Amino acid sequence: MSTLDAAVPAAQPSLAARFRLPTGPIQFLGFDRDYWRIWIRGSVLLAVTLGIYRFWLTTDTRQFLWSNTEVLGEPLEYTGTARELLIGFLIAVAILIPFYALLFLLALSVDQLRELAGLVGFVLATVLGHFAVYRARRYRLTRTVFRGVRFHQTGSAWLYAVQAVLWWILVILTLGLAYPIAQSRLERFKMRNTWLGNLQGRFEGSAASLFVRGLFMWLVVAGPLTASLVAIGAALDMAALQQLAESSSEEAFTRFIESRPDLSSAFGFAVGAVTWAILVGTLLYPVFQAMVMRWWVAGLRFGEMAASSTLRTGEVYACYLRYIGWSIVFSTIGTFAVLILIAAIASLLWGTGLLQNQWLANAGEMLVAIAAVALYVIFALGYAVIYQVKVRLGLWRALANSAGLSNPAALESISSVGAPASAVGEGLADALNVGGF
Amino acid sequence: MTTTGQASYFDGVTSARHDVTVTLGVSALQIHSTDGRLLAEWPYSELEAIPAPNGLMRIGRIDNAVLARLDVRDAKLAAAIDDLSIPIDRSGRTERRSRRKVVFWSLAATLSLLLVAIFGVPEIASRLTPLVPYAAEIKLGAAVDAQVRNALDKNHAGARFVCGTDAAESAGRAAFDKMFARLEQAAGQPIPLRIAVVRSEEANAVTLPGGIIYMFHGLIDKAESAEEVAGVIAHELGHVAHRDGTRTVLQHGAMSLLFGMLLGDFVGGGAVIVAAKTILQTSYSRDVEAAADAYAVDLMKAVEADPRALGSILTRIAGSSHTPLKFLLDHPETKDRVTAINSRAGSRPIKPLLEPSEWTDMRRICSGPRG
Repeated sequence: MSTLDAAVPAAQPSLAARFRLPTGPIQFLGFDRDYWRIWIRGSVLLAVTLGIYRFWLTTDTRQFLWSNTEVLGEPLEYTGTARELLIGFLIAVAILIPFYALLFLLALSVDQLRELAGLVGFVLATVLGHFAVYRARRYRLTRTVFRGVRFHQTGSAWLYAVQAVLWWILVILTLGLAYPIAQSRLERFKMRNTWLGNLQGRFEGSAASLFVRGLFMWLVVAGPLTASLVAIGAALDMAALQQLAESSSEEAFTRFIESRPDLSSAFGFAVGAVTWAILVGTLLYPVFQAMVMRWWVAGLRFGEMAASSTLRTGEVYACYLRYIGWSIVFSTIGTFAVLILIAAIASLLWGTGLLQNQWLANAGEMLVAIAAVALYVIFALGYAVIYQVKVRLGLWRALANSAGLSNPAALESISSVGAPASAVGEGLADALNVGGF
Repeated sequence: MTTTGQASYFDGVTSARHDVTVTLGVSALQIHSTDGRLLAEWPYSELEAIPAPNGLMRIGRIDNAVLARLDVRDAKLAAAIDDLSIPIDRSGRTERRSRRKVVFWSLAATLSLLLVAIFGVPEIASRLTPLVPYAAEIKLGAAVDAQVRNALDKNHAGARFVCGTDAAESAGRAAFDKMFARLEQAAGQPIPLRIAVVRSEEANAVTLPGGIIYMFHGLIDKAESAEEVAGVIAHELGHVAHRDGTRTVLQHGAMSLLFGMLLGDFVGGGAVIVAAKTILQTSYSRDVEAAADAYAVDLMKAVEADPRALGSILTRIAGSSHTPLKFLLDHPETKDRVTAINSRAGSRPIKPLLEPSEWTDMRRICSGPRG
């Protein structure tokens, strides 16, 4: 970029205008082409190594995203390595295996615990999952370097995990109404414990503003569902319910429903409301995502420095539409290729009469099954790659280029503090499937 | 060749940007501030290239705890540093070599994992199964039973799920128990057996660890004689005798560990892992089913009943259900199984297990009010 600028300084504005180069304080300079290459190569290697390559792919992805994101003219730097992730994962496995074994043994040896074992396991895994998310964030922050200064994170991951679980229970109980308050509290905790060198971060996004912005959407998506639940509650007859709980057969259930016509219509309404919530929720998800991302960026603070965001909802929609478009093209081409391949193999087998061979006919079933698995892998990885390039990279770019910074001078005089943290959190998150970036 | 140029320097102590002049010396590059002070001197053998956008060369020092960085945007200077530096790997050859090593060893690990899954796991599970105490197997069975009951009892009929409890069904229950008692006695298993006929349309039967057998009434509907039902029970008793349920649990555990934990979930669904597990476990189960068939034939011979009845009910069930991918089914090809059963059956004299009236009763074991 800058070699070009130096050579032809006068051409810069027109060039910027023509290619719509970002002009804000944060700029993403990476090309789709390079990201395609990382992910296509990475997904092939993922498939042949049964997923072991993921540590390298994750590292490549982060390195690409970080090093192409320039803040005030200086790119971020990711100093993590795949080897660290691999070791972190192995440590996590060493921790988790006895944990799983213990749960299994408990379920076998204590009769009362048998029914509870599933629930206890779920709760522990959820708390551990949030713990892992927080520790993984610490790993990523301490591997992020800006102007020769490292980020780091303080705060207890257990405290965060317990808070997160309690807030999420509240979010579920309120059908999402508590989401803004939960999100703002958790983000406050995270950002208060986030440091760039000796410069402390904080989060100032207000729950009320997100609530007000999202309320209309909540009414549209979850309103009917809430109304139907209220209707069911009003129509419920406690005595009849008790009777139902005692007999617990299908017949009793039917009798129970038939005894209250308003209840059966309330149930019908609830089914419709759930369908509506899923359908409209999916269609409006990008609006929600854009709203939350704008709110999140605008709430970030580092010392005197404040961030802002002009992310447009249309940009988020565009990312998803491109993903859908590419997926349709990929599915069409892929399906045709598969059909042609099957036709070719079938004609070869029939033409040469190989099917008469008993051994081959038996092995054929095995081969068909293996081919089915291979096809599944190819298609699943294909969609994953398209998603990565069109949605994840697209959103990253849109978010970076639409961000604004006020008082950037705060970034000029930071002193270096903090040491790199271990990757065990990343490993746990990986083993529990709760990873982020 | 360029020997000097402008760059930005971050000392790794503060975030301040220093505009510097870089001078390429004999064995090291020197970084001077604009007022001529020497800020740093980095030997060419200790330079490390750090990923950066196009048009920027970012250099650090290998294994340096301080994150000092030199940002070179002057293309000529960058090329000159690249030429002089020993470790900087602009062509990416060193990096590619280390990646190739990773890919090679991952492939090797995958291969050995698959070999362990195909040959090792069944072998280990078979060796371990006889070592599991019966007391543990019974406890394991109780734990599995609760979940299986929940999954099978689709109408949530609860206690009514089991047939033979109603007054109208008691004659059927008596006939069934009489037949089962003969088989149980001949089988002589060291653990108490528990069998139940349950309301499910499917023509099937399952055996859990700890001697728990569920016979679906759909199978009794399909049967044309008591011997056919007995043949299926004898087959399930084969699973009990070989402790196949326990072995399956051990195999499942080992496979989950191998495929689930160690490899992780790389496309999000884990469907590949499920598919791989299904295929591998299906290939184990072919041998297991064949062994249970052989046991069933021997047991039927021991009670002087028709051992070929198992083959005839298998053929009837297979004929009525149609699946294109029979490989993915639990049971090996029916034709092969029936051939094996018939060749083992021999030609001993046989006697009917039940009176015709008892068989008529048994068919009505689930005739009571539907739950």
